[in-house]
Amino acid sequence: MKIFNKKDGGIVQLTDKEKMKEWPIELPLIFIEYIRNNQLKTYEDSKLKKDIEQYLDEVLEDIAIPGLIKVLDGDDFEETNKALVRIDELAKKKIDLVKPIKPYVEKLVKKDNKEIRKLSNSILESFAKAERRKKLAEKRKIMQEREKEFLAGKISGEEYANARKEYLILKE
Amino acid sequence: MSSKIKQEKWDIRAAKKLFQESLKNGLEENKKQIKLPEHTVKIDELSRELTLDRIHNLTDSLIEMIYETGRPAIRLPSRTSANIIWDEKNDLLLLGQQIMEKQFHSLASVADITRLMKVLEKINELLLKDLHATKREIFYSAVQLFGDQKNSDKCIEDVATMLYTTRNSTHIVASAKGSCIGRLRIRDKNDIIDLEGLGSGGWTISPMLDNIEIIESDAEFILVLEKDAAMIRLAEARFWRKYPCIILTAKGAADIATRMFLRRISKELKLPVFSLVDSDPYGHYIHSVYLRGSKRLSYESPFLATPDIKLLGVLTRDLEKYKIPNDCRIPMNQTDIKRTKELLNEGFVKKNKEWETDLKLALKLKVKAEIQALSAFGFEFLTDQYIPEKLSTGDWI
Repeated sequence: MKIFNKKDGGIVQLTDKEKMKEWPIELPLIFIEYIRNNQLKTYEDSKLKKDIEQYLDEVLEDIAIPGLIKVLDGDDFEETNKALVRIDELAKKKIDLVKPIKPYVEKLVKKDNKEIRKLSNSILESFAKAERRKKLAEKRKIMQEREKEFLAGKISGEEYANARKEYLILKE
Repeated sequence: MSSKIKQEKWDIRAAKKLFQESLKNGLEENKKQIKLPEHTVKIDELSRELTLDRIHNLTDSLIEMIYETGRPAIRLPSRTSANIIWDEKNDLLLLGQQIMEKQFHSLASVADITRLMKVLEKINELLLKDLHATKREIFYSAVQLFGDQKNSDKCIEDVATMLYTTRNSTHIVASAKGSCIGRLRIRDKNDIIDLEGLGSGGWTISPMLDNIEIIESDAEFILVLEKDAAMIRLAEARFWRKYPCIILTAKGAADIATRMFLRRISKELKLPVFSLVDSDPYGHYIHSVYLRGSKRLSYESPFLATPDIKLLGVLTRDLEKYKIPNDCRIPMNQTDIKRTKELLNEGFVKKNKEWETDLKLALKLKVKAEIQALSAFGFEFLTDQYIPEKLSTGDWI
């Protein structure tokens, strides 16, 4: 176990990177997501949080991503297929986790295998959806500003209508 | 008395000191393996592939015997009490090197051998399919042949001994019994389980421990409870939030999965372990099983025992110290007296003078008490005073 010291003399122990090498390929990503979302907030010490964040980044760089890339770059269709099924599930839940492997998935849409193409397209669709959601959120923010400005008489009705139109097109 | 219970958080300094020592020693001894005495049998915990290899080697040798002599036989370490040795250095019960032979051509052993071969066949199937089965399922796989589950259970242990491996390595497991709760996160295959977030019941300790892995913990000690009732009390008080710990119970006698899981978490997390059992010979016996193994499964002791476990309570001396009312104390019966005397004759008790003194005191007073006797001072007494005070003062054996 990897040990992190707390200020009060206590410790936090996290599974070691070496052990993770034997895990199913998607599990290190799930582990990172789990610790980030559920455990980090429970550690009261800011230095400890920083140290653990750093360790999680190391896990991502040294274990999670290389593991996935190795399988996606390989010639074993069955393994690639299994990996894509897991990545597809993860992409639907939390797209940020699988962002580093997007270039590898883009290459796979050109493969001959129908199932691999289907799964790769599904993953890329999740990326596209996430990108659209991000843009929409940005536009929504702008729209709210425009609304305030319009109500305050700072912009014309035409300017407001144009902003509204752009927003609705993106929403559709 | 209940009004006197301290509500504040205790500084459990003695337990913290032990935790720092355990951590330091654990890190130094991490790579060290238990060195068993020469005259004992060495058992290995094996992967599925290696267990299958051993089965194939065994069957190959049997086939060879059939071709060469026509009189095949199986040789395996004897599990009789005469062949059980207490290893004082490691404080473990181990199997000696007496070997017994089961012959295929003898009328006396033919039924036994057939059962053994049936169990071996089932284990082979389980390992090939990467499945686990309970002892009960093995019995039902050939009811007429086994006749009684006692026979199939005995064969399961014989086959594990014959293969020089643990029962868990054969993929035959006991039903889930123990439970665990507290500051621990584990993975069961691809699922992450938070043992703080499973309600008051906690996580049922899986007998398929080969699928389990520790992923995170910020606990500083482990508390083993004899009884589920005490577990409910500690779970309701969310004891681990105030005092960072992992709590587990086998709900009575310690089963294999609970012992193996305890050994695993204490070894991997390098945490001190305390047990809280009834103040009676049965409670002390349960503590001893966690400590150095049981005679029946002595061949697996190195994989099941937690040799550093401390007996936190309830000690006989606590009955006076905490002034447990007389009506909460139970007079010992003849069986209790006999069992206490038997415990006093065990080498591992004689070696531990404090333990010996406490058992002698029990014999002198001829009383016993359950953990629940502490409720005489209020339901919170156990969680708000008794356990924290003992962890603070280092009042354990």
